[in-house]
Amino acid sequence: MPIITYSKAINQALAEEMARDENVILYGQDVAVWGGIFKVTDGLYERFGEERVFDSPISENVMVGAGVGAAIMGLRPVVELQFADFLLTAGDEVFFKAGMWRFMHGGAFKVPLVIRAPSGGSGFGPEHSACPEAFIMHAPGLLCAVPSTPADAKGLLKEAIRLDNPVVYCEHKLLYAMRGEVPDGDYTTPFGKAVVRREGDAVTIVAWQDMLRRSLAAAERLSKEGIEVEIVDPRTLNPFDRETIVESVKKTGACIVVEEAYRTLGVGAEIGAMLLEQALPYLDKPFKRLAIPDVPLPTSQHLVNAIVPSEDDIYKAVKDLVS
Amino acid sequence: MNSVQMLEVFKTAVLVRRFEARIVQMAMAGELPGSLHAGAGQEICQIAAISALSRDDYILYGHRGVAYMIARGTSLASILADVAGKEGATSRGKGGVMHVVDVANGILGESGTLGGGFVMSVGVGMALKRRKQSQAVVYFFGDGTSNRGTFHESLNWAAVQKLPCIYFCENNGYAVSVPTSRSTAVADISSRAAGYGVPGVVVDGSDPAAVHEVMQTAVARARAGHGPTLIEAKVTRLHGHYVADQQTYRPDAELVLKTKDPLPKLQQTLIDAGVLTETQVTQIEADVQRQIDEAVAAVRAAPLLAPEVALQDLYA
Repeated sequence: MPIITYSKAINQALAEEMARDENVILYGQDVAVWGGIFKVTDGLYERFGEERVFDSPISENVMVGAGVGAAIMGLRPVVELQFADFLLTAGDEVFFKAGMWRFMHGGAFKVPLVIRAPSGGSGFGPEHSACPEAFIMHAPGLLCAVPSTPADAKGLLKEAIRLDNPVVYCEHKLLYAMRGEVPDGDYTTPFGKAVVRREGDAVTIVAWQDMLRRSLAAAERLSKEGIEVEIVDPRTLNPFDRETIVESVKKTGACIVVEEAYRTLGVGAEIGAMLLEQALPYLDKPFKRLAIPDVPLPTSQHLVNAIVPSEDDIYKAVKDLVS
Repeated sequence: MNSVQMLEVFKTAVLVRRFEARIVQMAMAGELPGSLHAGAGQEICQIAAISALSRDDYILYGHRGVAYMIARGTSLASILADVAGKEGATSRGKGGVMHVVDVANGILGESGTLGGGFVMSVGVGMALKRRKQSQAVVYFFGDGTSNRGTFHESLNWAAVQKLPCIYFCENNGYAVSVPTSRSTAVADISSRAAGYGVPGVVVDGSDPAAVHEVMQTAVARARAGHGPTLIEAKVTRLHGHYVADQQTYRPDAELVLKTKDPLPKLQQTLIDAGVLTETQVTQIEADVQRQIDEAVAAVRAAPLLAPEVALQDLYA
């Protein structure tokens, strides 16, 4: 299998879907001539032309709202929001128009819209660093993908473009350069199916994107000490594969969620509540969360490092739990 | 607009006026929720504007009134079922009278947050342009709504991309209780068009022929690929913001109701022109009452939507 970057995997997914279906259009600020500020859409403007790949003004409300309008008319727009934080700039359009237009009109429409939201990767400042998964998970009507590998980045995006529901596709900025194997040929990755990235019996860690990478590194260290951690990557947060997590907890008896977002009412809070409802008899140890204390992310990297869960933090959390 | 078309506008306006009055009456009696934002005073303008469209053009609309749907051919019973939450409702109890939808008749729904239709219509315009079909999309909105950021973002983008979008402002002088003079720094909403390089036109909303004509021009411009037009019709809101609003903030409320109603004015104009007789008026009123009675009877007989419907229609 070819080895490519996460960024190239997203680019390939876009190119393949645009070649396959002429209703797929791509727009956003700087995506066309410049190829995106993170260069993810490089070459697509040259290949598909300005009718299908175009730059937009700094107008997030209309970027997303027009995407919904175009989607109900049968196009399949892919909108790049440049920074995931801007989902809130376009909040009405994301949560009410994309999330609810079908519902509030009694199912009269389909909304096949993909919002690409470059997330995380702190160091960009308080309004350019968000991992907004919990916001999306809390909003009925919106699907949410959180690809952690190049293979999933491609497969989940191709699936997102083909789905008839609006998808917020979080692409993590620190993963753009990550390399990995990507299957040959046309493939899609189904939504709602978590994957066990590493098997173990000591504790279940649920993590995705950069927190998955850090958890896997911590698990390597723990393994040398005879502690085998099981790591579940949910891949999508709506739909959310609760079953795989519960099955893993049945085996390990313990669960830690590691997330790159605010702690209070984060995705970890939902997973903890879900385990109380569905898996309490299997939990031998207290449920734990590693997350960002409820403060915005500063710009200075050493301050960021002080609050974002690190490989060391994960290592220590597991040691504390199993000792 | 010829006299036959004018007569049609009048007939539809009478139907809309009486239908809305019945909904208000039923709401006051406690039979229906009082969520209707009556369009009384604005329906001639709305119907005349729609009369300049083709069957395959699209509209998105604002809160005020149900004339848009009736003018496009949506049945009274389905609209009433939306108000009542009964089987037969176009939005299956999800949107009430705010979200009446009728895709077959080109009605693409309504944004509950005012001004959401601006951005939606840009997307519809993008799709029409991409299909290279000669269709237009019209968004009807109020003067208050033109202060939303969506107005500005969408007008700019529709102008840049030369989308077949028409923005039709019904300026009735009030945003709920706030008079335009206290919310808006310009006298004419249409003057804002200049900021986006598109034509802005003012028209008397009580004059159906004038409204029809400015819409025709805007539609032709949209179809030719020249981009959006901002139309501002000066209209009168005869009643409060919604059913229970007694308009305590409005000192001239009673005077407006007595002197500014465009419907009797149009009736007299048509009679003076020899297009309409008193006998015909009586017939039109009787016919309208019959249609409304039938719709009310049908909806009263229809079952309430089943509770499980609340969980449906979220995902395709």
